[in-house]
Amino acid sequence: MKFFKRTDLVIILSIVLISAASWGIYNYLHEETPAKAEIYYYSELVKTVELGGGEDRTFSIPQNENVVFRLYQDGSIAFEESDCPDKVCIHAGKLRRSGQFAACLPNGIVMKIVPQGTRGGEDTDLVLGN
Amino acid sequence: MQRKVTAAIMIIVLLFTPAACGSERNEKKRFEAEFLRLFDTVTRVIGYAGSKDDFNRQVNLIYDNLEEYHQLFDIYNSYEGIANIKTINDQAGIAPVKVDRRIIDLLLFSKEAYQLTDGQLNVALGAVLKIWHDHREAALENPEAAALPAMEELKRASEHTDIDQIIIDQENSTVYLADPQMSLDVGGIAKGYAVEQVSRLAEKNGFTQALISVGGNVRAIGIRADGVKWKVGIQNPFDQNGEDISKVGLKDISLVTSGSYERYYVVDGKKYHHIIDPDTLFPAEGYESVTILCPDSGMADALAKVINMPYEEGLALIESLPGTEALWVFPDKTVKTSSHFKDFLAD
Repeated sequence: MKFFKRTDLVIILSIVLISAASWGIYNYLHEETPAKAEIYYYSELVKTVELGGGEDRTFSIPQNENVVFRLYQDGSIAFEESDCPDKVCIHAGKLRRSGQFAACLPNGIVMKIVPQGTRGGEDTDLVLGN
Repeated sequence: MQRKVTAAIMIIVLLFTPAACGSERNEKKRFEAEFLRLFDTVTRVIGYAGSKDDFNRQVNLIYDNLEEYHQLFDIYNSYEGIANIKTINDQAGIAPVKVDRRIIDLLLFSKEAYQLTDGQLNVALGAVLKIWHDHREAALENPEAAALPAMEELKRASEHTDIDQIIIDQENSTVYLADPQMSLDVGGIAKGYAVEQVSRLAEKNGFTQALISVGGNVRAIGIRADGVKWKVGIQNPFDQNGEDISKVGLKDISLVTSGSYERYYVVDGKKYHHIIDPDTLFPAEGYESVTILCPDSGMADALAKVINMPYEEGLALIESLPGTEALWVFPDKTVKTSSHFKDFLAD
């Protein structure tokens, strides 16, 4: 009697291959997904910016041109200028990772960072620092 | 033949494993909402509900109740038909004010917190905090002329900060400030307290998977629908763009971070933030930030005042309280935690 039959080998190999593939898929699904910035003006989503990096530019939203946002090379985004008195929005600094957010209360603007695609298990819900 | 069937079954089982250990499939969907009108800060609600309408109903309940707390606990503005904290301050030394039960409860809770924090959380510190507030506001109007309050003025005000002069009559639901020069400032506890009350209400109303944050006072209700605890990052105060200093998993617990890095004003190139130490009458300088984890959001807010205490003293207080943990970030970038903080770390 042989120790292994050919079918046994096929089964073992299949199991190994499928386990490897499953592991790969699991990791892929559970990595933090790439982020994007959503900018809200009085609770209405007015602009979405992908945070892929490689771009350095400033922009405003048509609802309020006194507030200037800046997108950085490294894929982060910040409130660059604002006519508000307290500048809490600018003090919030650069945002890049899901869960971070900043707001300009006097101008009714919220910017929050969310995953680009479907939210994965590893994505942070909220980042505190204000 | 039987082997082939076994193999087929194993393959099917393996194929389904990743989904099974990743998340429980749930009918509920994730929604988020923000509002900017309450407590002079950003409120965020993240939660799971069967439909957008269901979520909106829960958010409206939270908003309406938070708004009532906001108006009752406001020290700067009056509202038609409402006796609030400002009304009590305006009547200091004149007459007791009949107030809503929610104000009485907040003040009783604040007196407990005063005892617990050895006077670091003192809602009777209004006279001192008002001086700092006025200087900060003036500096925002005219940054060139930014100035510090005079120590003498602060000292004079600090003579009118005795918490025992808050006379609470529970039977008649009145509050009287016996010292005419004292005033209440509930800024160090009101948000956390309101978040706790509103979270309990929302949970009773069937909102069982939610994360509520009012200006950094975070309260987790249950866990996420994918079976994972709510993941909350604590930003590195030295490098906002860098990795978080810590990431915690929350289930039915509150988190608050008190820091010196966003709300401040600058005098002669030095930053002065808004957390005032009742002993020195100046902003606390011992830490860059302090984070508290504890079941009750109001208590978490109060305990954040360990930012005014030497580390050993603050640690002893935190360790003495069940289910309570803290993380300190020192100016030299050292990070210290209470003994079981690590149990809350997210992967």
